[in-house]
Amino acid sequence: MINQKKNWKTTLQAYLYLLPMLLVLLVFCIYPIVQSFLMSIYTKYDFFTNKVGAIGWDNFRYLFADPDFYIALKNTLIFVFGVVPLTIVLSLIIALMLNKLRWFSSLFRTIYFLPFVTSTVAIAMVWNWIYHSNYGFLNYLLGLVGIQPINWLNDPHYAMWALIIMSVWKGLGFNIILFLVGLNNIDNRYYQAAAIDGANSWQQFLHITVPLLSPTTFLVTVNEIIVSFKVFDQVFALFQNSPGPSKACLTLVYYLYQKFYIENKYTIAAASGVILFLLILVVTLIQLSYSRRHVHY
Amino acid sequence: MNVTFEHVDLSYDDKKTILKDLNFTIPDGKLVSLLGPSGGGKTTTLNLISGLLHVTKGQIFFGSKEVTDQSALERKVGMVFQNYALYPHLSVLDNIAFPLKMQKVNKAKRYQIAKKYAHLVHVEDQLTKKPAALSGGQQQRVAIARALAKQPSLLLLDEPLSNLDARLRIEMRQEIKRIQQETGITTIFVTHDQDEALHISDYVMVLNDGRIQQFTQPQDLYDDPKNLFVAKFIGNPVINVLDAADLQASLQKYLPSNFYQQVKAVGVRAEAILPQPPIDCVGQIQAQIDKIEHFGSSVTANISYHQQRLVSTGIPANYQFGKQLVDLYFAKQGTYFFDNDGKRLEVKTHD
Repeated sequence: MINQKKNWKTTLQAYLYLLPMLLVLLVFCIYPIVQSFLMSIYTKYDFFTNKVGAIGWDNFRYLFADPDFYIALKNTLIFVFGVVPLTIVLSLIIALMLNKLRWFSSLFRTIYFLPFVTSTVAIAMVWNWIYHSNYGFLNYLLGLVGIQPINWLNDPHYAMWALIIMSVWKGLGFNIILFLVGLNNIDNRYYQAAAIDGANSWQQFLHITVPLLSPTTFLVTVNEIIVSFKVFDQVFALFQNSPGPSKACLTLVYYLYQKFYIENKYTIAAASGVILFLLILVVTLIQLSYSRRHVHY
Repeated sequence: MNVTFEHVDLSYDDKKTILKDLNFTIPDGKLVSLLGPSGGGKTTTLNLISGLLHVTKGQIFFGSKEVTDQSALERKVGMVFQNYALYPHLSVLDNIAFPLKMQKVNKAKRYQIAKKYAHLVHVEDQLTKKPAALSGGQQQRVAIARALAKQPSLLLLDEPLSNLDARLRIEMRQEIKRIQQETGITTIFVTHDQDEALHISDYVMVLNDGRIQQFTQPQDLYDDPKNLFVAKFIGNPVINVLDAADLQASLQKYLPSNFYQQVKAVGVRAEAILPQPPIDCVGQIQAQIDKIEHFGSSVTANISYHQQRLVSTGIPANYQFGKQLVDLYFAKQGTYFFDNDGKRLEVKTHD
């Protein structure tokens, strides 16, 4: 098949093979995306009969007049800028250490990967206990070094921190695995050449590991930013179906969820989805243009 | 700077011994080849010199300074890897300047030095390119320039030509010779190709099975092999090896009785098998000539003797032969006698 000439018949054949997956994608991804874009400009709309009365930009005007939307926007950005750098630095450090392990390395890999495959709800329950203001493990540890107990989940000043810490911890495993693959792909001869050329360990890390790992770092960053922009389940589970104390952890997707399922403002929810989409698109495009100059494939 | 190994052993995991009691001195300012079949210990020896590997037992000296426990970082040798190992993310200029950058030489100075070496190896018009955009030969030149840039006292080359095509290989080996002579740097060159080793080196060390088989000048390896392995490994066509049992009559006739009894194998170079008895004849067989092939300037005769095939280049192309057995003679120059362990025996003829 690979050596066949391309003609109408083989093209049709190829499309037939692609059809099942295309159908699934069209029904469950492409169609909803198009619908939500359209829905965001419906100003008079009956969700249940699917009747459109009028279209316009009113939904977006509503959003930009809604103080909650600004809170959600601000919280989401804080969350992204908190989680992404922390996750990348920590998972790179842990991956470097795991890469150096001679014994039990697969055991440790499994341990670090566990949070990623565990249900968010279960994780949130455990962290609920860890964060507990009176009996929590974290406050116990802080108490050992003489720090007053913090009411992590009920104090608006700390709730976002609690969310960020849990999310970083949960995301580590996956990113560590990606970094480990990237580290393994760097040929050992470059390190040998660098050692011969007089590079010490730190210089080898700086001049060999960092540049040659850049495709992986780029992949991890793009993925982590997108995942963080979409944060919802951690908030929902950690604060038990609330956006945190005095909306401290109200994120964009949580806002969307509230508008859609609780307030039944479907078109407003669709409009906020469009804003989130544009936000992620812009950030990803910026990253792509940066990568053209700084990522070495 | 000369390099000395004293009783060097290397083994992995305390079990598999790679090198056994290596003793040698590589003289200053010379080009020395480490030659041998794969798995013979050539690259291992080179890595011991570079400091990428460390000895299990024994000592290594650079000049009079012991470096046995020094790392590759401290030994400061220049090395060219088999697949070059150029840094893919750096330009040619930055690749060459990399060792200087590690020494914290300032930017202007290190680029100036890098350009000088780029000029020496003839890649001065490729400076801004990335390694992936260069041909194999150019990558090779850049790798040599990078190795030379920090002005090391030793240049190590690990099978540097094996990734190049045949024509380029001959060109690059001349280049390596030229660069070595221009810089006067002690150079150690690993190869499994005898042609390469014999053409460019001042000295050749033949390694097999973790031991030095012979360490001498190239022509001596051919004329004066110390053992059966070297005799078989060096030379094209491969030396004819005959079992002593097959040559009883001849040995008895030409060698003193106490000497021939020690002989277990006889090696005869192709050019030493002649149709007329030479002045210093050391052997004689009755054999059948099957075919004489004539290509260009080379004449090769295929000979059958006791179900064995021999090759001679000493029989002229116009030699008349039929199905009958003919007398063939071995010249002293090119005939070697080996004992039970494959060690060469000094020839003692009757006269």
